[in-house]
Amino acid sequence: MFPPAYPSLKEQMMKLVVNGEEIESSGSSLPDLLVQMGASPKRVAVMVNGTVISAAERQAVTLRAGDRIEILTFAAGG
Amino acid sequence: MKPLVLGDLEFQSRLLLGTGKFSSSAVMLEAVKASGAQIVTVALRRFNRERPSDDLLGPLMTLKNITLMPNTSGARDAAEAVKAARLARELCGSRLIKVEIHPNPHHLLPDPIETYEAAKILAADGFIVMPYMPPDPVLAKRLEEAGCASVMPLGSTIGSGNGIAAGGLLDIIINNSNVPVIVDAGLRAPSEAAAAMEAGCAAVLVNSAIAAAGNPSAMAQAFAAAVQAGSAAYEAGLMARSTTAAATSPLTLFLG
Amino acid sequence: MDNPSQYWSLAQAINTAASRADNRQIFSAMGAQRPGPRELALMLQPQARAHLEQMAARAKSLTARHFGNTVSLYAPLYLSNYCSSGCVYCGYASDRKQPRRKLPFDAVARELDALKREGFEEILLLTGERTPQADFEYVQACVRMASELFPQVQVEAFPMTVDEYRKLNLAGCVGVTLYQETYHPVVYDMMHRWGPKKDFAGRVSAPAHVLEAGMRTVGMGVLLGLSDPVVDSIALYLHAEELRKKYWRSGIAISFPRIRPQEGGFQPAHPVEDRLLAQIVFAFRIVMPDVPLVLSTREKPLFRDGMAGVGISRMSAASRTTVGGYAGAPAEDRGQFEISDRRSVMEICDMLRAKKIEPVFKNWDAVYTG
Repeated sequence: MFPPAYPSLKEQMMKLVVNGEEIESSGSSLPDLLVQMGASPKRVAVMVNGTVISAAERQAVTLRAGDRIEILTFAAGG
Repeated sequence: MKPLVLGDLEFQSRLLLGTGKFSSSAVMLEAVKASGAQIVTVALRRFNRERPSDDLLGPLMTLKNITLMPNTSGARDAAEAVKAARLARELCGSRLIKVEIHPNPHHLLPDPIETYEAAKILAADGFIVMPYMPPDPVLAKRLEEAGCASVMPLGSTIGSGNGIAAGGLLDIIINNSNVPVIVDAGLRAPSEAAAAMEAGCAAVLVNSAIAAAGNPSAMAQAFAAAVQAGSAAYEAGLMARSTTAAATSPLTLFLG
Repeated sequence: MDNPSQYWSLAQAINTAASRADNRQIFSAMGAQRPGPRELALMLQPQARAHLEQMAARAKSLTARHFGNTVSLYAPLYLSNYCSSGCVYCGYASDRKQPRRKLPFDAVARELDALKREGFEEILLLTGERTPQADFEYVQACVRMASELFPQVQVEAFPMTVDEYRKLNLAGCVGVTLYQETYHPVVYDMMHRWGPKKDFAGRVSAPAHVLEAGMRTVGMGVLLGLSDPVVDSIALYLHAEELRKKYWRSGIAISFPRIRPQEGGFQPAHPVEDRLLAQIVFAFRIVMPDVPLVLSTREKPLFRDGMAGVGISRMSAASRTTVGGYAGAPAEDRGQFEISDRRSVMEICDMLRAKKIEPVFKNWDAVYTG
């Protein structure tokens, strides 16, 4: 397969570090990333490059290559 | 029984439950129900795409009359704990936060300095701050002044089951505190929870002793009963220990 | 508490609840692990008087545990008897025919010298109400002079602002004594006929201002005899406990002044006899095991000797309640109240040592605060 001469935004892949692991992502918005990761948006909290992003702010965040994203959820603990 | 007042929240139950170390979510949920606890702790973890069903929020939300108290475990300093607290509030909307900063992974003893710094920031940010702390009476007053809604001195190290190791210090903390004192960590037997309540604690937080019991639900019930008994005993006023002093010579003859 | 009259009303409720106590409940209170207002009230009931000896034994062992076998000694120095308040019970009230004077600074220096030569290291400087003759600046200057000679200077004067207390602290004052006299708002109003002392709420909030300013200790007390002494004692305890928990870096001391005969013929409505005063002191020791409890020379030698170390951990000695009076000629005025124990410092020390109690003149030096 040849790469397309003019890759569309949609298909443009970028590297992100999600929960400490490097992944390739096609979406550049946070909600897209959550879908890609299989996370239910209401059941996770998100931090981008160390900043806590509220649910309301997610749509406005544009991800850039190399961004470090933490997706957190509740687990058992004392 | 008088309600347990934490910030602007009131609770009827004086037994707080940790959700760690249970053999399954189902067993944990049964134990929470059996305990009558209204506050349960949860921890923040990275979302696991392989096991999205590990999420505890859903199952816990099926329980009625429960307030979540996320902890900041995993945070090694105040800055990390503040981040964890804000993430947790995002996630569940609860303002209760158990500040838990234990940099050493072996003994898990709390770092008093980072705990204090985090408590100051979080209290100013509107959290109902519940600091897990060493049983240090001066630190307890400093945390109270920092705006904490309670202080939570450890009985002994987390999961150790060594009970209340420094009862004398706990006594001083209770005697000087203007906020509820909650023993957190180290309890093994319901009798220890009862003793803490008899000494004037406002509540106890139990996890391992119930999670690791032969029958967690039954043990949760036993702890609930012990906490109620201890609390009732404290309210009733314990009989004095004998203080008979050897009467050498009368001390009040001069009064005529 | 939000309202200054709440100390009295709450104390009254606690006292009423305790009034039906039987022996078993009183014994329970005496040995309670963490006694509070309820236990204090129980020990102050008339029924508890039958157990005074047991209370004394417990008070003595607690006093020894926290203070060792010691009693600390201090001397009061009256700087001025000018006053603008009309306290019914006070020999220095503004309508009393007393020669009025204040010590000029050279006389203050002589008095301080005389006290120092007697061996005192702790002194209490006293004045009446704030007057143009003896104002804040005067007290501050006297504190400064005294702190040159004495490691522990305390003041008993008019209520001040937090800022003034802070300045006094900087001048070398480490503690302030300020009695509420009574927590009963109506009786308080009747007893303080005119002058700034009429301000009940201001009086109640003054100890908090002292501690807010960073003073090391605040001395509190009620003038026993003005109102029901048991209710007043419980109210005092409630107030002291509230301050102890809030200003946890500071200390509290409790004094037990009771009304002595005065010119003006004031007779207390609730006279406090020896046994009741002893009962109050023992009960306070049991509920506040580590707080200094103070007895002045208002009391007779026999009573003071009996109480030393049995609850009481601090005493004044060789006192004059006249303005000055330690150096040179005796003062012309008749004093604020009648001294009952006129023994010298040496005699007091001998008495204490005979009881195997060490008289202590100095607890600490302000090494780090200079």
